[in-house]
This record gives sequence, structure tokens and C-alpha cells, in this order.
Amino acid sequence: MELTGYDSDALNSVFAALADPTRRAILQHLVKGDAPVSELAKPFAMSQPAISKHLKVLEQAGLIERAIDKQRRPARLRAEPMADAVRWLEVFRDYWAIRFDELDSLLDELKKADGKGPGND
Amino acid sequence: MTDSPIFVLERVFDAPRELVWRAWTDPTLLARWYGPNVETIVHELSVKPGGVWRNEMKWGNGGQRERMEYLEVIEPEKLVWLHSMTDENWTVSANPMMPDWPRVLLTTVTFKPDGDQTKLRLTWQPYEASQAEIDCFAGAMAGLDQGWGSGMDILAEVLAELQA
Repeated sequence: MELTGYDSDALNSVFAALADPTRRAILQHLVKGDAPVSELAKPFAMSQPAISKHLKVLEQAGLIERAIDKQRRPARLRAEPMADAVRWLEVFRDYWAIRFDELDSLLDELKKADGKGPGND
Repeated sequence: MTDSPIFVLERVFDAPRELVWRAWTDPTLLARWYGPNVETIVHELSVKPGGVWRNEMKWGNGGQRERMEYLEVIEPEKLVWLHSMTDENWTVSANPMMPDWPRVLLTTVTFKPDGDQTKLRLTWQPYEASQAEIDCFAGAMAGLDQGWGSGMDILAEVLAELQA
């Protein structure tokens, strides 16, 4: 459960950014390669300014970076914050699953004990 | 922005319901499976509405304290409690790794008999949470359901890129 080396505020913004389906779709598009706003807006029934707002949230969360010196300012995926989020998510996902494994073994033990011992209370 | 989603985990245990119930409500048994591979101390366990379970896990030079407050106890069918991380003084506190993680998670566990087996269903959802907490939890749930994209492929690709 203990994880170190995290920037907790950064992780906060990553999770908040990922809560939105449009932003998740944008990230997925960027996995294929850098893309400008015009291209990112295409699959959505959204204006470019609306998409730009989403890009800003992703940028603030550190999930993307945007070229400053280019006119089209293509967005590029940044992997590290995502990887931190994935690791955290795995810890969360396994929280109960690991405990259920332990419970499973304990129940086996208890059943055996009940079977040959003096029985339940 | 987002409705609060629910985390669901289901498991079938190969044991009769009464035994499974006992493992969740007897402090000695509870300490043996909750807190896997770490020292687990059940400081208090009062399984009744309004009762409290204070749990400590210790590892290396660290540890984690949790406080659960039971809202509903229907033996041997259902347990409902408010689940929180706490500081050293058992005061509910934010997750140090993620400040906006919901401080209180409403936890519901149902025990259903199925022959000699027991079907267990556990749910977690934010309780009296702020919008920031709900968003944070929703972001995590989206990752569990679809891997933050269609399928886990985005994660795989991103991680591959990271290692490249």
C-alpha cells in the first residue's frame, strides 16, 4: 500500500483529468502520434475552443505538452504521470482482491479444522 | 460534472455463509486475512450499527490506520460501513498519496448462500464527498472499467513509450 516518490497533487489532477470521457478519448488519439486541435476536434461534436479547454486540463495535469514554437501547437502525450496513475490504480484495484485471496485460504483452513476438530463455537 | 461511480468486487468463497460471516466479524479471524502479509492489529471491533472497527497495519517503519463505522448489520447477510483512513489519533484524514481521494467510502458487503458456497459482493462508493473527491474517484473507476480508453491498450502503449 505504501508508495513513495509520488507528487500527490499531480496525481490528483491526473485522476480528475481522466474522469472525463472526451479527455480520455483525446489521450487515446495521441497515443498514435502528436495532433493539432483541429484534428483532435474532428471525432467529437465539439467546437475547437471546447477541445482547447480539455487540452488545457490535460496540460495542467501534465498528461500532454504542446509545442510553443509551432503555429498549430500540436499536442503530445507525456507518459510519466500516466504511469504513476496506472501504478496507483493497480494498488487500488488489488486492495480487496489480495484480501479476498487471504480470506479464501483462511476459510479453507477453518473448514479443515471444523471437520476434524471439536467443531464450531 | 460526473455522477459518482461504484467500485464492485464479487467473489465466490468455497465455504458456508455462517463461516464466511464469522471471518468478517470475529476480530481474531479478521486480523488473519485483512492486511495481507503485514502485521494487523484490530484495536476495536464492535459489529453493530454505530459500532466501530479500528484497524492498524504495520510494515517496516510505516503503517496505516483505518476506521470503519458500521451503519447496518444484518447477520449473516449484509454489512454496511463507512471506511476511512486515519492519522495516528484515529482522526479521519486525507490519503497522503492523493489528497482528493474520497475520505469516506461507503462500503457494502453482501453474503449470499449458494449451496455450500457463499457469493460475496463488495461495493465502494464515495460518501458525502466533494465534487473534487467524486471526480478523483470517477477517474480511477474509468481506468478500471475501460483502461482510460477503449481497452487497456492505451496503458500498454503509454508504458511501452515510457520504457523506450
